[in-house]
Amino acid sequence: MDTLRVRDAKDVEEAVRAAIANEQPLEIIGHGTKRGIGHAMATNAVLDVSALSAVTSYEPNELIITLQAGAPLADVLSLIDSKNQQFAFEPMSTAPLLGTPALGTIGGMIAAGLAGPRRIKAGGARDHLLGAHAVSGFGDSFKTGGKVVKNVTGYDLCKLLAGSWGTLAVMTEVTLKVMPKPEAERTLLLRGLDDAAANKAMTAALGSPFDVSAAAHLPKSAFRATTEGLGDIAGEGEALTVLRLEGITASAAHRAGSLLELLAPFGTATLVEDAASSALWATIRDVLPFAASRALGAWPVWRIVCPPASGAALGTQLARETGGELIYDWGGGLIWAALPPKGDAHAPAVRMRAGAVGGHAMLIRAAEDVRHSVDVFHPQAPGIAALSERVRAGFDPKTILNRGRLMRGPAA
Amino acid sequence: MAIMMPASDQAVLTRRAEIVAALRAIVPGEGVIDSAAEMRAYESDGLTAYRQPPMVVVLPDTTEQVSLILKYCAGQGIKVVPRGSGTSLSGGALPLEDGVLLGLGKFKRIREIDFDNRVVVTEPGVTNLAISQAVAHAGFYYAPDPSSQIACSIGGNVAENSGGVHCLKYGMTTNNVLGCEIVLMSGEILRIGGKGCENPGYDLMGVITGSEGLLGVITEITVRILQKPETARALMVGFAQVEAAGECVARIIGAGIIPGGMEMMDKPAIHAAEAFVHAGYPLDVEALLIIELDGPKIEVDELISRVEAIANGCGSTTCQISTSEAERNLFWAGRKAAFPAVGRISPDYLCMDGTIPRGALPKALARIRELSEKYQLGCANVFHAGDGNLHPLILYDANKPGEIERAEAFGADILRACVEFGGVLTGEHGVGIEKRDLMPEMFSEIDLNQQQRLKCAFDAQGLLNPGKVFPTLHRCAELGRMHVHAGKLAFPDIPRF
Repeated sequence: MDTLRVRDAKDVEEAVRAAIANEQPLEIIGHGTKRGIGHAMATNAVLDVSALSAVTSYEPNELIITLQAGAPLADVLSLIDSKNQQFAFEPMSTAPLLGTPALGTIGGMIAAGLAGPRRIKAGGARDHLLGAHAVSGFGDSFKTGGKVVKNVTGYDLCKLLAGSWGTLAVMTEVTLKVMPKPEAERTLLLRGLDDAAANKAMTAALGSPFDVSAAAHLPKSAFRATTEGLGDIAGEGEALTVLRLEGITASAAHRAGSLLELLAPFGTATLVEDAASSALWATIRDVLPFAASRALGAWPVWRIVCPPASGAALGTQLARETGGELIYDWGGGLIWAALPPKGDAHAPAVRMRAGAVGGHAMLIRAAEDVRHSVDVFHPQAPGIAALSERVRAGFDPKTILNRGRLMRGPAA
Repeated sequence: MAIMMPASDQAVLTRRAEIVAALRAIVPGEGVIDSAAEMRAYESDGLTAYRQPPMVVVLPDTTEQVSLILKYCAGQGIKVVPRGSGTSLSGGALPLEDGVLLGLGKFKRIREIDFDNRVVVTEPGVTNLAISQAVAHAGFYYAPDPSSQIACSIGGNVAENSGGVHCLKYGMTTNNVLGCEIVLMSGEILRIGGKGCENPGYDLMGVITGSEGLLGVITEITVRILQKPETARALMVGFAQVEAAGECVARIIGAGIIPGGMEMMDKPAIHAAEAFVHAGYPLDVEALLIIELDGPKIEVDELISRVEAIANGCGSTTCQISTSEAERNLFWAGRKAAFPAVGRISPDYLCMDGTIPRGALPKALARIRELSEKYQLGCANVFHAGDGNLHPLILYDANKPGEIERAEAFGADILRACVEFGGVLTGEHGVGIEKRDLMPEMFSEIDLNQQQRLKCAFDAQGLLNPGKVFPTLHRCAELGRMHVHAGKLAFPDIPRF
């Protein structure tokens, strides 16, 4: 294996141009924490951007930060935290789920586009990427977007880069929106609801004027009892439904009281505050109950996105059919499903159930042989697939970048 | 006309009667308009300095008709310009002499309201405000609120990625749209996204939003709706210097407060607005901030007092706090009427739309004053201060020879300054034809070619809304060509491991 450690955008251009000339595809990595997601890439040459690690500029009062794509996410998070700011989309760490050591880079965070519980209120990575410099599969550096929060100049190519898994261009520098951290957080905790009732409770909360910033449900499960971050909340693995309120202290407390009343028909909620609340949400964000190091570590894990109110119906049927374990986030709109090991990871059942309600499913964790025989990313309708391929070819006509990652095919 | 549009295709023009007949076969009755008198209503949009009657207007009312029209035009090599309500301020819907104007005005139905999933599925011709009105009984609304919201269509909002006063806190159109049905120039009908939070694969919805009608014709949209905040209150704060007002904005954000809206007006804008609506604006200040906090009452009251303290610390000379809805609306009345108010003091005005980093505001206003001297034209400034989006209103008289040209040159210089100060050419009005020729100020040829390759993926013939956004049009075959970088060795000089 050949690994090229690029030092600047010029190096990236040269590496891609040489790769084009040699018809040698490149696997693009930062810290490589997400290499286990997607199909095996049809290459053994690696372009490592982790040395592009500088913070170009950080202007808290402008609510923006500009970073090289290889900047370590952990360092960046602590930098913006020192100014009491955050990425509002609450990027998840895939490290516990995949059993990798590090948090990864900013570029990886954007390319994967995996947002956390606040997705329902604040949007995803795509909503917070304001501008980028990148090298296309033509070997040319281009920029898109800008360094201001409000901009409609030209096509918003940032949207395509976020969640593209490195198949369109190699990002070298990005500008992201940062937002103030809330002063306080309060989480309402309901115990013992079944999935359907929990879905109803979350729908009621999210349809209320109380500005709920996260809504999740952990069904009754023997596997979860000792999960880190849940502390003594976990009980004996009984079902937990949790709803988060954030803001200035008086407001969060006030809204928690109002929400408690609204949800009285679902039981008497208890309150979890500040540090305990944020530990709880980090557990949900990073799907710790399904961590690689725990009892279900060898089970394949699906990430299913669906209309939120359809979550419970989809999830309960899927769990019954497969004997799997679930975690609901996004008010029911995101389901993490750990299913008992099987050659196809239960793909037909998952895709049929998700498709039936207008949802889609991605196999975020599975052994390589399983990923070889199952589509990791949700298969698209033919017209959308064809358009997406034309879009991709407009960035990378020779398929130099992460060839084979998104789709099973002759190349993989 | 200062802007050159693509040359008209004489072969198409000579076949006009045949084309009109073909369109009538697709859209029967009054859906095809070809008389010069009736077409006049479509000859311009909100950028009224530019006018051009189309070859023919067609107003379909089903997705299938849109598909057949586009398929026919693609087959015949006929250009198509889509249009919603025609409120674009950048000329995005300016017709072409040899083009079909495709109006979506008959797509006026809200198809589904789904409170459980907090979405509305709507046709594109529905107005922005009508969506909020349709869900108001349940306490919901649609957040983006461009000032033309009574008239502008949601389809146009998607095409332009419209913003509004509240987008600092609630986002622009792109942050509030989940899916669409779109018809490509080939006539192919595609469905993208739906009621889920995000879509699989490349974010096509994200790139269609703000594409200014160049990628496809949208026939259905799924938007997310929010619960209305419990209450809203506003402060109206005057400053003796623009710099102090700018500092106040920075300190509010620095204190971790994101107001629902934060607007600034300079002295000429304050005077024009006050003379028009009598909102009680102070006339002896250089800058006025209107800051609105929304949310639960307890939160709003607390933040109002924090903002008031910050304003005092920045040397505000006046500070009024609304104590009733009527008073809050009065504070806003002047700001919301700023454009017509300026229209009263000047026969004509050009509304610009650059964005700058907030910190560059004093510099930018100083530059605008210099340019105002240079071009001998007045300028009133209103400003979405929270997100750095500047709307200079350049005053001119179209009846005086040479003034429109001077006003346009003045505007172009302002936008160049926005880019120079680290900002962008347009914050919410779009590029259209208005800023098209300024695109190279911000983007290199490589940047623009990459954008046009996206266009090629959707519309390889370049027939949909040509002449907008891009100053130079390239053929897709040329854009797709891979240039061989001769003499480059394999991975020269890059460390290997």
